[in-house]
Amino acid sequence: MNVLEVRDIRKSFGSKKVLQGVSFSVPENCIFGFIGRNGAGKTTTMRAVLGMLRTDGGEIEVLGERVSFGRPPAGGRVGFLPDVPEYYGYMNAGEYLTLCGSISGMDSKDIKNRCEELLTLVGLSGEKHRIKGYSRGMKQRLGIAQALMGRPDLLICDEPTSALDPVGRKDILDIISAAKEQCSVVFSTHILSDVERICSRVAFIEGGKTAFSGSIEEIRALRRDTALMLTLSRPEDAEKVLGGFPAGSKDSSDPGRIVFPKASDRDCGELMAFLSAQKIPIIRLERHEADLEDLFMEVIGK
Amino acid sequence: MNVDVKEYLPLLIPLIAVQFSLLAYTIVHILRHKSYKRGSRTLWLIVSIVGMEFIGPILYFILGKEED
Amino acid sequence: MKGFGAFFMKELRELVRTKRLMLILGVFTVIGIMDPAIAKLTPKLYEMMAEDLKSQGITMGEIKVTAMDCWAQYVKNIPMGLIVLLIIFCGIYTSEYSKGTLIPLFTKGLSRSSVVLSKFAVMVLTWTAGSWLCFGVTYFYSGFYWDNSAVKNLLFSGFGWWLFGVLMISLIVFFSAFAYSPAQVILGAGAVYFAMTLIGMYSKAGKYLPVSLTDSLSLYKGETVPDDCLAAAAITAALSLALVLAALPLTRDRKI
Repeated sequence: MNVLEVRDIRKSFGSKKVLQGVSFSVPENCIFGFIGRNGAGKTTTMRAVLGMLRTDGGEIEVLGERVSFGRPPAGGRVGFLPDVPEYYGYMNAGEYLTLCGSISGMDSKDIKNRCEELLTLVGLSGEKHRIKGYSRGMKQRLGIAQALMGRPDLLICDEPTSALDPVGRKDILDIISAAKEQCSVVFSTHILSDVERICSRVAFIEGGKTAFSGSIEEIRALRRDTALMLTLSRPEDAEKVLGGFPAGSKDSSDPGRIVFPKASDRDCGELMAFLSAQKIPIIRLERHEADLEDLFMEVIGK
Repeated sequence: MNVDVKEYLPLLIPLIAVQFSLLAYTIVHILRHKSYKRGSRTLWLIVSIVGMEFIGPILYFILGKEED
Repeated sequence: MKGFGAFFMKELRELVRTKRLMLILGVFTVIGIMDPAIAKLTPKLYEMMAEDLKSQGITMGEIKVTAMDCWAQYVKNIPMGLIVLLIIFCGIYTSEYSKGTLIPLFTKGLSRSSVVLSKFAVMVLTWTAGSWLCFGVTYFYSGFYWDNSAVKNLLFSGFGWWLFGVLMISLIVFFSAFAYSPAQVILGAGAVYFAMTLIGMYSKAGKYLPVSLTDSLSLYKGETVPDDCLAAAAITAALSLALVLAALPLTRDRKI
């Protein structure tokens, strides 16, 4: 069963069409990366999934139940971390989690245990200060703790790492990876390295539409044939190489560099054999793995 | 004019006690905070002392105190 | 109504920790002491003025202060306490909506009605404590210096002020359902108050308006009796209830 199913949702604010058909599905026990540029419609989609936004069309199913404005997912089954989480500054972390727990309807013993468990998970267990003195990173960590408080089946995080320094980002990603043991995770981001680090499935959203959706393996398969880049020590050898391998083309900026856009493993072997047989000296022969960034750029048409 | 001070003591003592504790609390609050919603530390100290008839402290807490 | 209890406790904690409770109770205590203090000082001030006037040839008779003067001060000063309370509370909803502090709690199943009603309950509780504290302090001093039995319908006038304050708080609840800033809320409540006062001045319907509950002087003198105010009291209570109930669906549809 899919924990989250989004089918063709649409939304415009006035004449501005923010969502023009976003569809994707999130299976159980996976970390799902929701990727798009700033303003692509990520936050709008997430608010719709949480039932906080009236959509103009499309269907959303969370854990098998239809969601719409005014009919949010059943309380406690979905945990949410907003992009800039705001709390009550006069409380400390434990008090805030206790409030969240009692709203979720947990009993006081359960709240106490869950509080300690989560504060340890997010590294705030020794923290007795009030939230008003917290840094961005601490607020994000508390945000994940509050989202997990009611033992949700689905955790939704809106740009959890975007405003953090590299150390803070790593902490959050580690916590999200650990949270995967308890529930499925959907998180939106525009930082591709974060996605590559922890996600097993992704969806790209661009211009209010899902441009691609699938597993990381499917992405890799899509770009199976990777590019080869050859840099020669003598630019004049370039003609000789191109004579043997017409698929290649000269790099316009550097006459000594030849690019083979789609080269299989076999092409690579043949090229190396050719180079050694002809005794052509080279500086570098490079295989360029297709990564998310390439795909992302392709998707957004740049 | 001879005002019998003793007659006013039951009024004056609690009034002064409440007002001064409010004033003292306000001054401590101002000095403990570095930033305010608007205005500066000097401004709020002057306002709360000049308007010590509890107007000053109220102005500070409504207009000057930073949200937690 | 899920989460009402938990959110109500959160509101109480907020009231104490943000020092609002202390500030409000302090203000009402001060007002309660000021009422008899001003009443007591009035003849002394007249005495000083009389000396000036005597040189101009005007003589003034001896002024005798009674409990009535003290309670007249109460009627003059209690609105100040109510205004302070309304200003302190006018952002209680809108600041949470604009900061987004409720979003994590809504996703945990907190209902919007719980938010509206628990904040209303906390405001009414604070107003109840504050207004009766002020009443009690004034009553104590008035009895200490003078004789409270000279003033009629004291408890009922206190109740009238309390009920009127509840209506003003209900206006905050109502306007907060669609306003975007504390200023809009307080302006809305103020506008309704002025409209009521104007209608009361120029229309025969004045007797039934909530503002007539605050006409304590005629109650004190015995010109009116509580029975005359019952209609106004019933209207005020019904209006408060209607405002709070209207705020519930409005808040449910509000974009957050």
